[in-house]
Amino acid sequence: MEKKKLLAFFGALFLTMAMAFNPTSGIGAEKYVTYLGLEDFTGPIAGITVSFNEGLRHHINYVNDQGGVDGVKIKPILLDTRYDTSRAVSAFKRYRREHKLVFILITSTGVGKALYPLTVRDKVPIQVPGVGYFQNLLGWAITYAPPYQDMFGASMDWMVDDWKKKGNPGKPVVGYMGWDNPFGRENLLGGREYAEKIGVKLLKPEYYPVGSLKHDLWLTRLKDYGAKYIFVSGTDPENSNVVRDAYALGMMKDVQLISGVWGTTMETGVAFHPEEFEGEVICSPGIRGVDARAHPLAKLWKRYTKSKPPVQFSYMLGMSLGIMFEKALKVAVQDVGYEKLNGEAVYRALQKITGEDTKGITGPIDLSPTSRRITRDVKFYRVTGGKIVPITDWRRCPDTVSLHKW
Amino acid sequence: MRPCGVFDERYIQDIAIVRTWQHWLALIGALVILYTFPFYGSYYLISLINLLSILIIVILGLQIVMGYCGQISLGQPAFMAVGAYTSAILTATYGISFWIALPLSGLSAGIVGMISGAPSLRIKGFYLAMATLAAHFVIMWIIMHLKITGGIQGLHPPPPQIGNIVLDTEERMYYLIVTMMVISTFAARNLFRSKVGRAFVAINDNDLAAEVMGVNLYYYKLLAFFISCVYAGLGGSLWAHYYMVVHPEQFTFMHAIWYVGMVIIGGMGSIPGVFFGVLFVRLLDEIVLFSSPMLSSLFPWLGPGPGAALGLSAFGMALLLFIIFEPRGLAHRWEVIKESYRLYPFAY
Repeated sequence: MEKKKLLAFFGALFLTMAMAFNPTSGIGAEKYVTYLGLEDFTGPIAGITVSFNEGLRHHINYVNDQGGVDGVKIKPILLDTRYDTSRAVSAFKRYRREHKLVFILITSTGVGKALYPLTVRDKVPIQVPGVGYFQNLLGWAITYAPPYQDMFGASMDWMVDDWKKKGNPGKPVVGYMGWDNPFGRENLLGGREYAEKIGVKLLKPEYYPVGSLKHDLWLTRLKDYGAKYIFVSGTDPENSNVVRDAYALGMMKDVQLISGVWGTTMETGVAFHPEEFEGEVICSPGIRGVDARAHPLAKLWKRYTKSKPPVQFSYMLGMSLGIMFEKALKVAVQDVGYEKLNGEAVYRALQKITGEDTKGITGPIDLSPTSRRITRDVKFYRVTGGKIVPITDWRRCPDTVSLHKW
Repeated sequence: MRPCGVFDERYIQDIAIVRTWQHWLALIGALVILYTFPFYGSYYLISLINLLSILIIVILGLQIVMGYCGQISLGQPAFMAVGAYTSAILTATYGISFWIALPLSGLSAGIVGMISGAPSLRIKGFYLAMATLAAHFVIMWIIMHLKITGGIQGLHPPPPQIGNIVLDTEERMYYLIVTMMVISTFAARNLFRSKVGRAFVAINDNDLAAEVMGVNLYYYKLLAFFISCVYAGLGGSLWAHYYMVVHPEQFTFMHAIWYVGMVIIGGMGSIPGVFFGVLFVRLLDEIVLFSSPMLSSLFPWLGPGPGAALGLSAFGMALLLFIIFEPRGLAHRWEVIKESYRLYPFAY
């Protein structure tokens, strides 16, 4: 009996293996290009990547449903690499010879750095997190948001404006809280230099371990040192937990908390505990809150999932990547035609779509021969009455990357 | 494998690694296939073997300290990182040859591992696991905060070179990595025919009894950690020059869990078990990774999250079934197969 069960188990395993090594394509014999996504659906940043991916996928489906880009459809291969470099590298090597693989999306900095030399060798552009290193490199990697340090710079600009608007003299004292990991420290590579440049007193940064349950220690220390503004750079839901801790400490009235790009969304607390987030400001490279829900493309969620739309910011940001790719593909097809279409053509095309819009989801596209930033604009939102509402229009981020010695 | 009726007549035969002509034939055949593989293997499979070979070196180290000596270690990825960073710093920053950096990376990881293993005389089991876990976080914290390691930026070590030949392709790295894996396997297998290896096994069986018999517990436990971490360091060095980048995000706590899982699934205290464990876990992982697009195309309404989770659940289920039906690891099944062959045509 035991042997039979064992045989059945290994038989099932073999069948799965055989099927897995012959993946079917959703696209038939039409003209198409392959879009490879090496993402994290079950790892540490799955909370944002999953809806990010939904937005991207829905837009690709939408483009394909409309007949493709000048008749060229997009075949997405979106894989869960679990934030693991070896899985991602293995996946890249498995799919690098897919039919007309012209673009790769990567959601981990470590994976991006590991794959960069390999993708350059294959002449395929990649899209990576907002890490200043890649902007400085000016190579085949483009960021999917402004570099984190640029957004931190824009936040400091907003703080200075807000400080003046309130009638205060001089410049504000700013505190910084971030995860004690590469992501949490990235903001200061250029951000620190920018603070010096504009005369903002930036307190010694407070780094906290990923997954910390309480953040009182770091918050109170920054407050005791005189911080009037605290920039929080974490990934939700932890970012929102910092805000909740600040609320519990009674700090929200004296200190202005500003969350970075992956900060508070409606789903991670505002909808359930609006009073705790009241007054929090969020620096966002894409529309969120009421803007995101009102956007016409948000309806794609309902169209493709048949469920009530819990439209998140990352869903719309993912969609903006789809729009950017669609525009670049259109230029590439027009430039070289389908037969000669390859990664290099898309890479050249990406640098020609400067100033194009992403249907209002982000600011204008900034990609050019001297920029690898998808956009340089951010919008500021504030939690007001249980809603995330815009308080500024698109504001251009300062170039903090160039201030850092890489 | 010895067929029925073949007996050892001398001690030298009893401890030989390769015992019969069938054994020799299998070994030579395997080596021929392994070394000619780049001529007919696909790019993907060559890269997969490269990755598996590096993992085998690292897990061989873990098998020595955990499977043979009975000391649980959750620090293997961090020790691997020590080796990777040592090699990257020596080659990328100081321009030292990879061939000098390679043994030095093993040595540095060994020394760090020995220090981390120091509490092993006082604590055992889960407490030791906690101590090595702490070592993991301390090491990674230090790596992330030092300037010489490139901090959060990481380092970009160059590919190894032999004369004018740069080992910058899968095929070229293949020979280096596979050769290192073969040598490491032989060394590990040989270790357990020596006094040191037997002392490790004695400690694993009953450390008190081993001490009564004259085994210096502290010395041998530290030695086990040292040797284990030398393996991790060598694997780390190969990893660094294979990927040509070292970054703190490449050596996470999750890797530590997977590595321990590989040892358990393969079979504790068995060198073939290392191969079985690494192959089983990694290949199953590859299947899960590549079956996700298939699941997404079959069930598009699932979306990427649940689709990927389904793959992960299948992976968990496979492990669960495995533990139920084969709790002593794949190496045990291999032993059963060998025994059947050895006793053929007799039933027992």
